Amino acid sequence: MAGRMSLARRNLLQEKTRMALSVGGVALAVMLTLVLNAFLSGMNRQITSYLDHSPGSLVVAQEDVVNLLGATSLLPGGIMSQVEAVRSVDEAIPILSQFVILDLHGKKQPAYMVGYDPDEGGGPWELFAGRQPRTKREMVFDQVLAERHGLKIGDEVEVLGKDFTIVGLSDGTTSWMTSFFFLQKAAAENLLLSPGSTSFLLLTTSEGADLESTLQRLNNLPGVNALTKQEMAVNDLKLFAQVFSTPLKLMVSIAFLVGTMVVGLVIYTATVERQREYGVLKAIGARNGVLYQVVLVQALAASLTGSLAGVLLAYGVAQWIMAVRPQFLIVFDPSDAVWALLSGLGMALLAALFPARVVAGLAPAEIFRR
Amino acid sequence: MKKDLADVPGRLAPTSTLEVDHVTKRYGSGDTEVAAVREVSLSVAAGEIVLIMGPSGSGKTTLLSMLGALLKPSAGEIRLNGEVISAMRENHLPDIRLRKFGFIFQDFNLLSALSALENVAIVAELAGIKRSAARKAAAILLTNLGLGDRLNFLPEKLSGGEKQRVAIARALINDPALILADEPTANLDSKIGHEIMRLLRQIAKKQGRSVVIVSHDQRIKDIADRVLWLEDGQFKDMVTMATDPVCGMTVELDNEIKIEWEGQLFYFCAKGCRDEFFSHPEQFSSRSVQPVKG
Repeated sequence: MAGRMSLARRNLLQEKTRMALSVGGVALAVMLTLVLNAFLSGMNRQITSYLDHSPGSLVVAQEDVVNLLGATSLLPGGIMSQVEAVRSVDEAIPILSQFVILDLHGKKQPAYMVGYDPDEGGGPWELFAGRQPRTKREMVFDQVLAERHGLKIGDEVEVLGKDFTIVGLSDGTTSWMTSFFFLQKAAAENLLLSPGSTSFLLLTTSEGADLESTLQRLNNLPGVNALTKQEMAVNDLKLFAQVFSTPLKLMVSIAFLVGTMVVGLVIYTATVERQREYGVLKAIGARNGVLYQVVLVQALAASLTGSLAGVLLAYGVAQWIMAVRPQFLIVFDPSDAVWALLSGLGMALLAALFPARVVAGLAPAEIFRR
Repeated sequence: MKKDLADVPGRLAPTSTLEVDHVTKRYGSGDTEVAAVREVSLSVAAGEIVLIMGPSGSGKTTLLSMLGALLKPSAGEIRLNGEVISAMRENHLPDIRLRKFGFIFQDFNLLSALSALENVAIVAELAGIKRSAARKAAAILLTNLGLGDRLNFLPEKLSGGEKQRVAIARALINDPALILADEPTANLDSKIGHEIMRLLRQIAKKQGRSVVIVSHDQRIKDIADRVLWLEDGQFKDMVTMATDPVCGMTVELDNEIKIEWEGQLFYFCAKGCRDEFFSHPEQFSSRSVQPVKG
């Protein structure tokens, strides 16, 4: 065993350029796979960020509305008191939300406006700087979006034709698609020309309450749809997954394929170039299994070294991307590194298939032919 | 300082006999069928050196491949120490090749990524010897072949003679009964060629191994116990052969391409050699053209 390991290692190291190409190809493929996956995780975290941090465990939306970000919701008038009267409902926090397009220094910027009552909640969960809005002319702006556009506390931002002064900068409310900004609910009502209207109610239930039966009671109310925050978050994720996940997963698959092909081609070429030597080994008594091991060990060494390099590269690239473009959240899960190594293993196994066929097809008697 | 090969402990091979009984090898079928080797019979005793000569395409390589269990005959039997190796299943043959035969090739065929020591040791490891023991045995063998200071050299750093000595060590490491050598001196200069021939003789005479050599090299006849002439896939009588004075090839005495020069008959393998002889007869006519003995 040691002899074939040594042969595989020496074969690899003898062609340093080829080894570097192979490792580099896998490293790039793994890096791309990891970064895209982590980007998808980051995007998912951004999508559910508001629901993850807002108070309560249930959400009441307009009838047939199941998304926070993907739909406009307008609850029937007077529904608040009916909801609060439902058994097990401790608190109902109203918010008025809407997608809007901001004009920031001549650039159109989609953003998600949340109108909330600072005394009740439903606003920014973490302030990077400043305070909550105290008047209808004040706002809390996402700090990353503010930084990208050179905005700071005290600056004014025009929303739907009205100017608001930034009094606070929120953290964790960034998204590369639509960052959040927060106004008083009354200010949002004015902007949308819909006094007293509410998009969603964030419900806190009493301790030990059965959520299922509470939801049933809420859904008996006219014109509303009640669901858990988790359900709504999942719905939002599904909605955005339809748009982004498929192309991202396609890119991940392509990256895996490219990595496999790079290792496969390099090991295949190396095997074909050395097929006379493999023929010699076969002639002097090496079984096919031994030669497969030599080929596989080469593919494994190149793939796993490349995968490790890819993991390191991915972390470096992610840090660089988030420093240069803070609106992109790239979230690595420790299990991603394990998956990267497993995908490297997969690449090696696939990449060794064709070279193994070359080796298996060698006729030992050919060694005497010149 | 080189030691005699017979001085290496455990280097006395068991008595062995190779028997080839009416072996035929055919390629293709129907109208395209070609018999590369036809009804060849041969017996090689332990410690015997058999040299097989013949023109290109005569079936030498095919025969050697069948002797080494690299190729199965279409008909006939090959036995090694009474065991019929030609009928063995394919999955048994690697072990036979690994333990019963030692191969020496014209192009040395060393593994370019491995050192001289590793090239020899890997064959022992394939036979199940532990790495340290395999390396130790390889080092002893190489040292006895005069390569003690070349153990860690890659093949590219070795001369032709050194490479062939590494190949010989590789062929001997598993104590084979039979050494099969394909043109072992072809890529070597005269001096080194003689050195390799001396080694092959030692392997046969002092270690009791059978050695079968396929070669065009006339010099090897000096160390061979028997010289066989293979032509058109069959052994022919060597007494009827002569040497082309231009290219050195062995040719049949009834060859039509012959001339008489200063009272002596000269035989040629082709008209080209005859024409070349005519252009400088004084250069070639002094060369021995005596019929070779069988």
